[in-house]
Amino acid sequence: MIGRIGRWFDERGKLSKLWQSQMVDYKVPKNLTFPYAFGVMATVAFLIQIISGIFLVMYYQPNIHTAFDSVNYTIMKEIPFMWLIRHIHAAGANFFLAIVYLHIFAGIYYNAYKKPRELTWIVGFFIYFVLLATALSGYLLPWGQLSYWGMVVTTEIPTSIDSAPIIGKLKIGETISVWMKGGYELGQITLGRFFGLHIWLLPLILLGLVGFHFYLIRAHGITSPDGREIDKKKEGVPFHPYMTLKEGVYLMVYLAIFFFFVFFYMKHFLPADNYDPADPFKTPAHIAPEWYLLAFYAIFRSIPNKFLGFVMFSVALLLLLILPFLDFSPLRSTRNRPLFFVMFVVLVISSMALTILGSMSPTPTVAFLGLIFTLTFVSFFISLPIISILELRKYKAEGGSKND
Amino acid sequence: MIKTIFFTVLTLAFFYIVWINNIFAPHEKYEMPPEHRMIAMDYKNAKEGRELFIQNCASCHSVRYDAIYPAQVQANPMLKQLQEKYGKVLPRDVYEAVFMNDLNSMKESYGKIPPDLSTIYLVKGPEYLYNFILEPQKVLPGTAMPPVMTGRPEDTAKIIAYLMSVSEPSPAEKAKRNIMGVVTIGYLIVMGILIWIWRERILKRMGLH
Ligand code: HEC
Ligand code: HEM
Repeated sequence: MIGRIGRWFDERGKLSKLWQSQMVDYKVPKNLTFPYAFGVMATVAFLIQIISGIFLVMYYQPNIHTAFDSVNYTIMKEIPFMWLIRHIHAAGANFFLAIVYLHIFAGIYYNAYKKPRELTWIVGFFIYFVLLATALSGYLLPWGQLSYWGMVVTTEIPTSIDSAPIIGKLKIGETISVWMKGGYELGQITLGRFFGLHIWLLPLILLGLVGFHFYLIRAHGITSPDGREIDKKKEGVPFHPYMTLKEGVYLMVYLAIFFFFVFFYMKHFLPADNYDPADPFKTPAHIAPEWYLLAFYAIFRSIPNKFLGFVMFSVALLLLLILPFLDFSPLRSTRNRPLFFVMFVVLVISSMALTILGSMSPTPTVAFLGLIFTLTFVSFFISLPIISILELRKYKAEGGSKND
Repeated sequence: MIKTIFFTVLTLAFFYIVWINNIFAPHEKYEMPPEHRMIAMDYKNAKEGRELFIQNCASCHSVRYDAIYPAQVQANPMLKQLQEKYGKVLPRDVYEAVFMNDLNSMKESYGKIPPDLSTIYLVKGPEYLYNFILEPQKVLPGTAMPPVMTGRPEDTAKIIAYLMSVSEPSPAEKAKRNIMGVVTIGYLIVMGILIWIWRERILKRMGLH
């Protein structure tokens, strides 16, 4: 009976054909390494956020008087198992961002952004950007001290445009800031709009972007770790079962680590200060953004002029976006590019150092180190055209043409 | 191989610092004698701590998640009616609107409304609370909170045990959660191993090994 229903459905839905063409006939290089699994993990992390989020909205109240209690009393204490959902959602957001960062760095390492995959990279960048906005808006919802003051600081960022020489007079930054908050103070309107953004608009945009990202990946096939485009007919292995099962194993390990944090170590994902209800009259001693924004925060903070800080912070994001066009070398994958490897290590270490500097108290030493690592961070992007020219020359001297 | 080890160690060290133990970030440390810590961490003292709290602290502080309200609110006849309508734990907007006069008169006496202590244990931790409750002026100079517990460290520890019991799950609940955690993680690891074995077999059969 079940078999017959299945067959009825399949004759009409053609799902087994879809599976065959997209999963089995789809060929991938045999030697894909562990970092290639970050994409699958990110997908699963996204699904976890959507499912846990749907349960959270059932009890969450987007009202500045009751939001805190709806989270910390109703969800955490009153309704059975909702604590688990909140733990999953809060840890899940951090894991999602961690995986997306790792995915980005893996993409840089294997030069996955090169022709014809520039658009895949750009779409990925926007996924990252919208994801940051999603996490930021979600963090406001529990309406604790960190939620509140974190958003106060975030909505102040645009006002740094106003310290620019001439355009500052126009007070564009302040206008943007008021427009973000929906008033001069953070209040009910702010919470309401960020709730709306967080629970449907931003996830919907993410869903669209992720779908497009997938389509592009399927359209161009996957890069290989040694940088060659494979001849799919001869060398590739079927995605299913070769990769699906391998990544399935990685996924189980990932989920095991994830659930270890969910059950046993929520201290960082539900920070102590956010158990204090938001109080507009009490500024907490340390306001630092979440860890995934600390690198940008450190860049912003270590530059003495606010406007220049804002420019630098936007430039850092922009450089990431136009990365495919900075690196026009014919060589692919760091495995074949010793110079690129050195600069990649510089990039990784500066990003990590900036993140850690962002969490420290702002002493002059920290600001100075922040400036140094900002420069090394940017030096990666500046070095790319130079490395590309060097490699292009060598490549031509050895008789390769640019287009193979 | 060396590169793999290098990047793996670097990544793990990074996440250890930002997620588990940030040795660079500023920390405040408060001391608490181990014998009093033992009392404060013992869930069994929560009941006695609750009585002590009602005697010493509930004249000013509420613990709304445990339906404890300041003396002045407790004396207000509206409380009973509202609790019949909304349940013992009143919604905060209702509470603050209906008892505005009582809360404001406390604000006049102390300069600010003494905070609700439902989640204070999670915010401050036992060491801070111990030091603050025993000697408020030393920890927060100029605070309006009186030193009501001077010379009674054991009772203070019991009050902390009570505050903990309001914020943290009970030991039985905690044990249940731990078992759930272990089972979930165990399940995932077993599934991982099974998938691996299955994959080996299928690949051998397909000649893809
Ligand atoms: C006379 C009224 C009064 C009594 C009695 C009282 N408190 Fe307080 N308490 C206050 C006030 C007022 C504040 C706000 C202090 C401030 O923020 O400066 C406060 C603050 C606190 C804080 C928060 C400290 C912080 O760092 O934010 C805690 C914890 C606390 N009280 C615990 C207790 C405990 C436990 C008792 C009973 C042993 C108690 N209080 C008795 C008035 C009182
Ligand atoms: C797409 C990725 C998503 C990310 C990165 C994300 C992130 C977050 C974060 C960081 C918080 C604060 C957690 C806390 O401190 O408690 C949060 C809260 C919340 N999110 Fe999401 N979220 C996502 C998707 C969703 C979706 C799709 C929904 C609803 C359908 C949702 C509903 C909620 C609700 C109701 C809260 C408030 C409850 C709470 O704070 O625990 N989220 N989210």
